[in-house]
Amino acid sequence: MARPALMLLAALLGVTATVTPALAQYRIGMSAAITGPASSTYAPTYEAYKVYFKRVNDAGGINGQKVEIIYEDDRGEPQRAAANAKKLAEGSILMVNASTSATYKPFMTESETEKLPLLFGGGVCPREAFPPASPLIFCSTSFGSKWDSRFALGFIKEQAAGKKVKVGFAAQDIPLSRIELEFAEQLAKEMGLEPIPVVVVPGNTPDFTPFAQKLKDAGADWVLSWALWHVEVGVFEALHRIGWQGSYLLYGHQQTQDELSRLKAGNLYAFGGNTLFMENLPIHAEIANLVKGQTTHPAHYMAEGWVSAMVLEAGLKKCGWPCPKDKLATALASVSVDTRGLRGGPIEWTPDNHYRKSTYYKVYRWDPSKSVTAPVGGWTRLEIK
Amino acid sequence: MTQVLATTVVVASLYALLAAGYVLVYRATRVLNLAQGDMMTLGGYFLFLVAAAVPGQPALSVATAAALSALAGFVIYRLLMRPMAGHPIFAAVLVTITLGILLRAAIVLVYTDRIRHPLPLLGLANPPRRLPGGAVVSTFDLLTVAVAATLFVGLFAFLRLSPLGIQMRAAGEKPLLAAQRGINFQLLFALSWALAGFAGALAGILYANNVRLDPSLGVLGLKAFAVALVGGLDSLGGVIPGALIVAAVEVLSVRYGDPLLADVSPFLCLLAMLLVRPWGLFGTREELERV
Repeated sequence: MARPALMLLAALLGVTATVTPALAQYRIGMSAAITGPASSTYAPTYEAYKVYFKRVNDAGGINGQKVEIIYEDDRGEPQRAAANAKKLAEGSILMVNASTSATYKPFMTESETEKLPLLFGGGVCPREAFPPASPLIFCSTSFGSKWDSRFALGFIKEQAAGKKVKVGFAAQDIPLSRIELEFAEQLAKEMGLEPIPVVVVPGNTPDFTPFAQKLKDAGADWVLSWALWHVEVGVFEALHRIGWQGSYLLYGHQQTQDELSRLKAGNLYAFGGNTLFMENLPIHAEIANLVKGQTTHPAHYMAEGWVSAMVLEAGLKKCGWPCPKDKLATALASVSVDTRGLRGGPIEWTPDNHYRKSTYYKVYRWDPSKSVTAPVGGWTRLEIK
Repeated sequence: MTQVLATTVVVASLYALLAAGYVLVYRATRVLNLAQGDMMTLGGYFLFLVAAAVPGQPALSVATAAALSALAGFVIYRLLMRPMAGHPIFAAVLVTITLGILLRAAIVLVYTDRIRHPLPLLGLANPPRRLPGGAVVSTFDLLTVAVAATLFVGLFAFLRLSPLGIQMRAAGEKPLLAAQRGINFQLLFALSWALAGFAGALAGILYANNVRLDPSLGVLGLKAFAVALVGGLDSLGGVIPGALIVAAVEVLSVRYGDPLLADVSPFLCLLAMLLVRPWGLFGTREELERV
């Protein structure tokens, strides 16, 4: 407990922490929402990076060189992110952003100015990572705007099995969530579903009931939510409380595994790009062993950051040594990373596609008959064009 | 409509519990305790701490968490606020802001930012309850209303009937006269902070079981601050209509207007009140001048 607590204390006090071997060679800058309101989503990525690259360095580094990572806390705030971007750009060969979308702009500006590759690993992928990709912007995060809605609505349609269903949307009062679900509302219409106008929920509402009531009164058979976890699940719990009998599909953030078991609701579906650790794959056991005593979050919160770190390691390996920033950007643009089951397939980037050639989704829910959380079918692959 | 009414009463009860803390401290010490929201969060985490240590003991956990919160209020007064005596009120308010930041940081340090749910540790459930008229609320919604009602009845009785309560009122209303009568101000001030901690903890305990527990809950304290000002910062009785007005505007704006207004509606109520009656519904003009 003492060590993670000290790491967190350092972060809280705004102190820069480094995984730092004396002869560090590959220099990476990372800005993450380690504290602040959105930290429950992003801090685990920071922790996964620390553990992952400690192991890499302990094993001799990459291409014989150690990896030095400078960490900065931006609290998900654009002003702090702007300062971090300036600071991290100096001397780094790549910047990593694991924070809210509000912090993206200063990082992208700095990346463009300094011609520095920028990897989004933990926050939603910006459109610059999708085809036709910007040469400097990369994204390893499992969730991606528009593609998530495409999958989610396809899943709802499949579950409806030909029946005309009314779909409600619960967004959070942040631009990304609203834009995504407004897109989903349009898409639902095109797909022959019956959409109900998006209900936008303030993140710090004391009671989700009025929002849930609005969805219930509109006659929603299904509700799709794509927001921060507490909003997604807050609306579901309020709907459940007021006796709504429909089905609820939400994006499964790191909390999914714990929360499906807590809620034990057969009508709650969570979709996402990461395998839940309850599937007990060898990689899950490996991560659990490595993070023991090293992180403040449990092992099953690490998947997002772990995949991102795997991709970065692959890029650095491919870049060789010396590895200037332009060479690293070129190397990253052709990586292919076996995620060892953490995702449904590899992460493959091309010069034109820095999101991935194919993205994979899986749905989980609590199975009341067996009293366990279980997948609903296998992986669904979507080709990214 | 009955659902709107039920939700309004539930939200108002939560706000009233929190706002009571603002009023108690202000009446006694003239300090705006801007850490009240974080004291609510602290109460929720005390519950989590105790429930994790002795699972399945709800009565013990709640009583201990509430007592620890009251003690925390007392300690805050002794360590932070008492040394501020004689300094401008403005400085004391800044201390409460700093206190809020420190409490948040300490909670993150110990418990991280993960969302917690103490309810399973207490071995309790929170089933929905159907009310006459068809509205549905959770069991903890009903408890929130009941606890708020009980707290206010208790506080009114304490302030009107008990010698200590009468001294508290005297110290708040006529401090010079009270001092000349030999009233122990330090004890009364400490008691007001302890009561504020206790009221905040009740809000935190109920909310943590009903919705969630995380370090950012303190933001609800800002809405309750608007409630206290609408009702009148020196009026405990004003808290109840203040809370009902703010909650009604918030719930109605979600139901019949733009849901986004829910977040700003407490402050719109506050702004309207400041324009029409700056000392609040039941506050006194004299208190405004002191502010």
